[in-house]
Amino acid sequence: MSTYYGTYGQKVQYLASDPSDPQIGQVWYNSTSATLKVRQSIATNSWATGGSMTNARYGQAGFGTQTAALVAGGINGPTYKPQTELYNGTTWTANPTGMNANKYNIAGAGTQTAGVAFGSDGAPGGQTELWNGSVWTNNPTGLNFGGEGLAGCGTQTAALAIGGSRPVGPTGVSSNKTESFNGSTWTVGGNLNTARSSLAAAGTSTASLAFGGYTTARTTATESYNGTSWTSVNSMGTARYGLGGAGIQTLAVAFGGNSGSVTGATELWNGTSWTTSTSMSTARSAISGAGTQADGLAFAGYNGTTGSAATEEWTGTVTETKTVTVS
Amino acid sequence: MAYKYCVAENWGKGFITHDDASKFQVSGFPGNVWQIPANSQDANLWVNKVAGTFKTKAEAQTIVDAEVATAQAAWDALTDEQKQQPFNRQRPTAIVLE
Repeated sequence: MSTYYGTYGQKVQYLASDPSDPQIGQVWYNSTSATLKVRQSIATNSWATGGSMTNARYGQAGFGTQTAALVAGGINGPTYKPQTELYNGTTWTANPTGMNANKYNIAGAGTQTAGVAFGSDGAPGGQTELWNGSVWTNNPTGLNFGGEGLAGCGTQTAALAIGGSRPVGPTGVSSNKTESFNGSTWTVGGNLNTARSSLAAAGTSTASLAFGGYTTARTTATESYNGTSWTSVNSMGTARYGLGGAGIQTLAVAFGGNSGSVTGATELWNGTSWTTSTSMSTARSAISGAGTQADGLAFAGYNGTTGSAATEEWTGTVTETKTVTVS
Repeated sequence: MAYKYCVAENWGKGFITHDDASKFQVSGFPGNVWQIPANSQDANLWVNKVAGTFKTKAEAQTIVDAEVATAQAAWDALTDEQKQQPFNRQRPTAIVLE
């Protein structure tokens, strides 16, 4: 038996104003503006260049969002780059003060106004510095297991330090350690299933994703953390270390790294699996990432010959309300 | 795929836009060398937009080789201890343009 819905479909809603939480695919008529509207999802999935940093560098700490990011520390050849620079979505501005110590191979977490940086090439490698929006302060206590090439995610008061090469220096080996930070002290958490350094991470201290890195070779391993333990999930398509990451545990983006040589390869995580997407224009490793899978940021890194000042802005899938025109 | 090359300085925001990226792939190499598809009118327009200078593949390769040679010399000058640092462990390797 035919029904009205089966024959004509749903009626278009006639509303005085746009709905507060429209769903993808929802169509309505706004009687105030006399416009037909639709909520839709558009997959841009591309990189565009952003403002270049003053200090080219690699192995730095970087975090924040696409329009409010921070970079500090790192190195370019033999020259340490303790300088802090702040990104506003268009340009990088040098902050008057840099990190308190010269260091690179650093990890970080947080926002442009409240961040934390930890781990470095300088023994013991556990040093932790706190960023308050204008200056770095040495935290009285450092990581329990100092190291370099860790991954960081979360916030200044709920951060994770993951993997790395511990201890610092030639005797360092790929680590499975995870430590959580509460704003003042580090506590040892669950171990990674795959010990590795120079990996990337996304998410929070209780819902994070760790991916890529270096075990005794480049790895595609991906693991999910629930605040207590790590679970191995589907692997990346391209094995690499020194990659960047952005997003959350269920919607992440991985980019760059060294896959035998520097790469701009980009992969998207949907909570279950990785898919290959559009590559960055400037291939590089030891890169930093910030933001989300919808609005990500890649900056700094090693381009195969020297440090990079390049910034690239990722636009993923954007959900927006569009006015339907029929002319 | 066949490629063309140009040299242009990445000035930052707006150098490569999402609109550019939706039309063709730009790949950067050391020495401000950029690789674009050989048969793309949009890519040609982009080179004009960024005031790029077209280079033959051989010319582009020479520029990249010079950058790599400089980086290799810098790496060779590092101390053994410095060469043990994670991102210094690998001597810069040759980059061969496609």
